[in-house]
Amino acid sequence: MGSPLESPGGIWWNRKVSGLEKSWVGLAVLTAIILFAWMIGWQQLGAQNPTGPTYSVAPENYQAQVQAYKDAATETEQGLVPAGEDVYIGARQWTWDGVPVVLEVGKEYRFHLSSYDVQHGFGLHRRDKLIEQFNLQVLPGYEWVVPITFKHPGIYDIQCNEFCGVNHRIMYGKIIVE
Amino acid sequence: MAFGLLKSDYGADGFRTCGVTGLKIHRSAEVPIKLFGLTAVVALIVGGIAALLVALTRWEAVGILGPPDFYKFLSLHAWNLLIFWMVFMEIAILYVGGPIVLGRRLPWSGLAKAGWGIMLGSALLIEYAILTTTPPDNQPLLTSYAPLQSSPEFYLGAILFILGAVIAALPFFWCIWQEKRENRGKTLPLVTFGAFITGIIAVEALVGGLVTYVPTYLWRIGVVAEIDAAWYRHMYWIIGHGSQQINLVAMITVWYFMTYLTAGAEVVSEKISRAAFILYLFFINMGAAHHLMADPVLSSQWKMWNTSYAVYGAVIASLIHAFAIPAGLEAGRRKRGLGGDTWFGWLRTAPWHDPGFSATVWSIVLFGFLGGITGVLMGQMQLNTLRHNTMAVPGHFHGTVAVGTTLAFMGLLYYVIKLFFNKDWVFEKLARLQPHLYAAAMSITAMAMMEAGIAYGAPRRDPVTVQIPGTDFNFAAAEPMYALLGVSAILAVLAGVIFIVVAVGSLLFGKEATVTTPVPLSLTGGDRPAHEYSMRGTMAMVLFFLLVFLLFYALDWMWLSRLWEFGT
Repeated sequence: MGSPLESPGGIWWNRKVSGLEKSWVGLAVLTAIILFAWMIGWQQLGAQNPTGPTYSVAPENYQAQVQAYKDAATETEQGLVPAGEDVYIGARQWTWDGVPVVLEVGKEYRFHLSSYDVQHGFGLHRRDKLIEQFNLQVLPGYEWVVPITFKHPGIYDIQCNEFCGVNHRIMYGKIIVE
Repeated sequence: MAFGLLKSDYGADGFRTCGVTGLKIHRSAEVPIKLFGLTAVVALIVGGIAALLVALTRWEAVGILGPPDFYKFLSLHAWNLLIFWMVFMEIAILYVGGPIVLGRRLPWSGLAKAGWGIMLGSALLIEYAILTTTPPDNQPLLTSYAPLQSSPEFYLGAILFILGAVIAALPFFWCIWQEKRENRGKTLPLVTFGAFITGIIAVEALVGGLVTYVPTYLWRIGVVAEIDAAWYRHMYWIIGHGSQQINLVAMITVWYFMTYLTAGAEVVSEKISRAAFILYLFFINMGAAHHLMADPVLSSQWKMWNTSYAVYGAVIASLIHAFAIPAGLEAGRRKRGLGGDTWFGWLRTAPWHDPGFSATVWSIVLFGFLGGITGVLMGQMQLNTLRHNTMAVPGHFHGTVAVGTTLAFMGLLYYVIKLFFNKDWVFEKLARLQPHLYAAAMSITAMAMMEAGIAYGAPRRDPVTVQIPGTDFNFAAAEPMYALLGVSAILAVLAGVIFIVVAVGSLLFGKEATVTTPVPLSLTGGDRPAHEYSMRGTMAMVLFFLLVFLLFYALDWMWLSRLWEFGT
């Protein structure tokens, strides 16, 4: 008895379980509930969630949208200043379309993310404080609208963080927050 | 020589009796176990060589490979270690857990060999595809995310490999079927039960793989015009993550087996441990969703329900095993009077000099602290955005697979050499040192990756992050972590070389095994059931683990809350 290589035999499901093991199972269940509840709670109340509406869009149509957005924006020495609260970014091998872009601190922008060709990754890094960074997936055929509000002025570097071909490593862009 | 290795002395009925475990071993099961085990070791060698080149490239001060070669060797590294080394071992584990533990023949052993042949042939086709990839095709890495195309041979190889693995699994299922038909009402041993659950999870994953790769192959050769990126990701991760869940469940089965074999662990509650395996069966495949947390298309409800395995069903299972296995060790050793009546005497006096034991224990501890904790953190929808596609991701799965599963399988192989090949270990001192060195070095490797990813956002799959052409941005701040990664990876590869030298040396030159286990497996101590012995040492350790987990959980959420605001 007790060997994992032998059939336990008899009515093993009625055998006593040690008190400590029972308490541990209780703790495990409690942990599970807390983890789940916290995630849902943050989705309701927290300010950082990888969520937003997605629309189907053909890559060429999305590219046309980005062009229209660029035409409406103001060109400055630092980069594009968007006309409204929408910021369009198009990913393609191996550049970001629609950048550099100049944004205001504390203002909520609707970021539109999609790709013209293959899968890319929207990695965003605060240059002066690298621990502040996040990562979203960018897919061709889908336009993802994610609201973003920057808390601090500075340079934010966009880095493709999904392997997108042999020159993946050079795919960078810039957001300037003032 | 090679054929000699596959021979043992069997009786007229094809059975022999293992001198240590007393198990009846039939030739029809033993020969395939040796075949699959040896092939797995070859994949470990190829993947390990690639590992060294990849690590010395990510250590950018060395920067041994240019980008095209980096992706080539990264693909070889991924496929040989994450897939071939693991899956060949896992088929062997199914055959150990089924026919060997049950003392049966392996039925349809021709299918086992056919499966092995197909898996080997298709693995070679994948290696060939990776080595000959040229533009406009791209290296597949592990994920071959469509619509970025790889070579047609690659997709074909993947399809055939999956088919081969399914074929090789069939004799195992038939063996379980026969056992249940002949012994109605008799419960399977826990190790067999674990192997059975592993087998089911494996087939689910493999079917997902066919659903992914067959249409993708048709798209690649032009039969299907378009492929949807979101569809591909959704399907791919059924096998992409599912294959790693096979590793997990197989590894846990090995933990029960090896702690018993090397140190006298017992099952403290059949009911609880089996319930945990059943939780895996129902919930663990939902973990595929972990890869889709930073994706468009999917709703937040879908994400949170799936990423949590339906309110963390699989995490509860893992926490149960995290208690049950050390508790089995503690109770089993207390029962045998080993280590005295102190909190941790049972652990201190355990056979740490036995590589089968030390590899298993390091696998358990480090899987939990490195792989388990980071896995749950990354699996939270919001926290995932901090780690997705950064170095923290390979950091996590080196904690699970490279430290956890690989160490467990190495520990198992030390005993396969003794019990199946009937050979003593050569260079015994090196063998005793090896698991400790590998555990330490690979842990540091994994932690360096985690730190580079989470503290600096350093990207994975990127050979150039310090002097990046075309931008004034860089990840130079992460360079100390890259250096640490490089140095510790060299040591880990060295520990891998020691393992190969001992394993291959023992097979070729080892003396006939004088097999004993470090503890008497027959009960010499008390006659009370295991659950009546104290498990206080285990309780203290798992509480410490939970505390560490909560600390990292709080830290991650603190960092997330300081980030810019995003999402709806």
